Amino acid sequence: MLLRNVFWKTVRDLRWPTFWVGLGMGAMTGYFALLYPTYSKLFDLDSMLAKMGPAAKLLGAGGDASSLIGFLHIELFSMILPALIVAFAAGMASGFTAGEESRGTIDVLLSYPVSRRRIVLEKSAAVFLACLVAAAAVWAFAMAGAAASSTALPPDRLAEALAMLVLLGLAFGAIALAISAATGNRAAAIGVAVAVMVVMYLVDALAAVVDGLNTIRPLSLFRYYLGNDPLRNGLSFSDAAVLAAVAAVFLVTSLVAFERRDLAA
Amino acid sequence: MTIAIETEKLTKYYGRSRGVMDVDLTVEAGQIFGFLGPNGAGKSTTIRLLLDLIRPTAGRARVLGMDVHRDRLAIDRRVSYVPGELSLYSELTGRQLLTYLGNLQGRVDGDYREKLIERLELDTTKRIKSLSRGNKQKVGLVAAFMIRPDLLILDEPTAGLDPFIQLEFEHLCEEARGEGRTVFISSHQLPEVEHLCDRVGIIREGRLLAVESIAALKERALRRLEIDFGDQVPIEAFAGLPGVRDLTIDGETLRCTVMGSLDALVKTSARFEVRNLRSVETSLEEIFMAYYGAGEGLGEGAGDGAGGSAAGKETTHAAA
Repeated sequence: MLLRNVFWKTVRDLRWPTFWVGLGMGAMTGYFALLYPTYSKLFDLDSMLAKMGPAAKLLGAGGDASSLIGFLHIELFSMILPALIVAFAAGMASGFTAGEESRGTIDVLLSYPVSRRRIVLEKSAAVFLACLVAAAAVWAFAMAGAAASSTALPPDRLAEALAMLVLLGLAFGAIALAISAATGNRAAAIGVAVAVMVVMYLVDALAAVVDGLNTIRPLSLFRYYLGNDPLRNGLSFSDAAVLAAVAAVFLVTSLVAFERRDLAA
Repeated sequence: MTIAIETEKLTKYYGRSRGVMDVDLTVEAGQIFGFLGPNGAGKSTTIRLLLDLIRPTAGRARVLGMDVHRDRLAIDRRVSYVPGELSLYSELTGRQLLTYLGNLQGRVDGDYREKLIERLELDTTKRIKSLSRGNKQKVGLVAAFMIRPDLLILDEPTAGLDPFIQLEFEHLCEEARGEGRTVFISSHQLPEVEHLCDRVGIIREGRLLAVESIAALKERALRRLEIDFGDQVPIEAFAGLPGVRDLTIDGETLRCTVMGSLDALVKTSARFEVRNLRSVETSLEEIFMAYYGAGEGLGEGAGDGAGGSAAGKETTHAAA
């Protein structure tokens, strides 16, 4: 079945990376959920954060750590998980067209009755699925960890925050895909997507400290990802729509760019 | 006569460097067509234009009567392609790869596929990455033939194949032709396709120099002559005779190649004492090189002007 078409072949190609990323992100989140009660007894986390002052905000640790939600937000959702999902999605997406081009398999693939557009769409759908699976793993591990440590963790809020995480991944994945489809250069695609992520992260984090940056803060996708604090307040549809729109625009860009280009021999 | 491939002024530039220029190529259906030229002449560029992998700077191309860009999927359903630098999904086994490609194609004659695997002696249980170049090529050939396409486009298909498999490959091509299908084979080695092809096109430096049937090429065959004279003969007497080229005189022996009539050479020779005359028909390879040697103004003038040194240079060029 996994060799039935481009979508399933891509799912097959991504099965191990998805397994390991899901396991890694999930285990990390589960670990924090499991040990949160111990941490909060040992350290007065809020006063530590207060002492760090603005520096904490730069590290994405703005907020309060007096609940597991706040703790997960500070420890994982503000920096580590987005960095991982973006690297994961951008890595996968850049491999589609540029990867097949540099391996030389695109010539064979395109000599079959599969259009360029369909290749990009089916592969993108496979990445979407991979991100969902990784996010589901995080959810399952976190709920298990929270249950084991008898800590309150609202399952719906966690799911909504993870949905935002997936959307962030898709947005950056689409950026990487567009660069890869337009240039055939995989390294550039990953590099630019990750660099853009770092800049956007810094803009959003610094804007919490430096007033002058507030004007450009809306340009950062992190503003939409974290702006509404989804772990606490749930998913904001307008924020989600912005991330989805960015993903859609770059996906369309990829389709157009890939359709037009001379492919590398 | 139906046309399998038709290009009109097909031109491709990469930036300012040339890919191919003004290629007017017509390949009739039901033939085995050899597309010949040295490495870098534009063979792969032409093929990749036919497959819409790259887009022409100017001109147009039709395959099986359809536009290579607009009717892409319809063409893909009826055409197989094996690239020269064949890259396949290395993590799959041969069997898995054939399954995947068969699924992409949509229709595969399973019995025929198994027969092909047997005939080409392909081990389908090994992963592609562990296969030698020749064995990878066999996977590509099975994949190409198993869908019984109307047109097979094979870019340097026999590289790395052992002689027995190469023979089997030739049988496959002949069978395909027997069923009215068309085979388009690119090669830089003439002997490889000489006995297989009905017609050949010769491309050099991006330009299609000539398209000839093998029979016509052979009719225009050059003869290499060696004449032993009874005494030393002056080279001036023979220089400039029509059709005579590569002229050397070594003591009492004259060597040259002649295209067309031997009349002038024989009559001139008769002025001297002729002890022996040896004639060797040249191989197609040499005819081929004569085309190269004549440069761009080829077509009618292969015989005149081009010296042996030019042809010799092109020999090295082609082998490079």
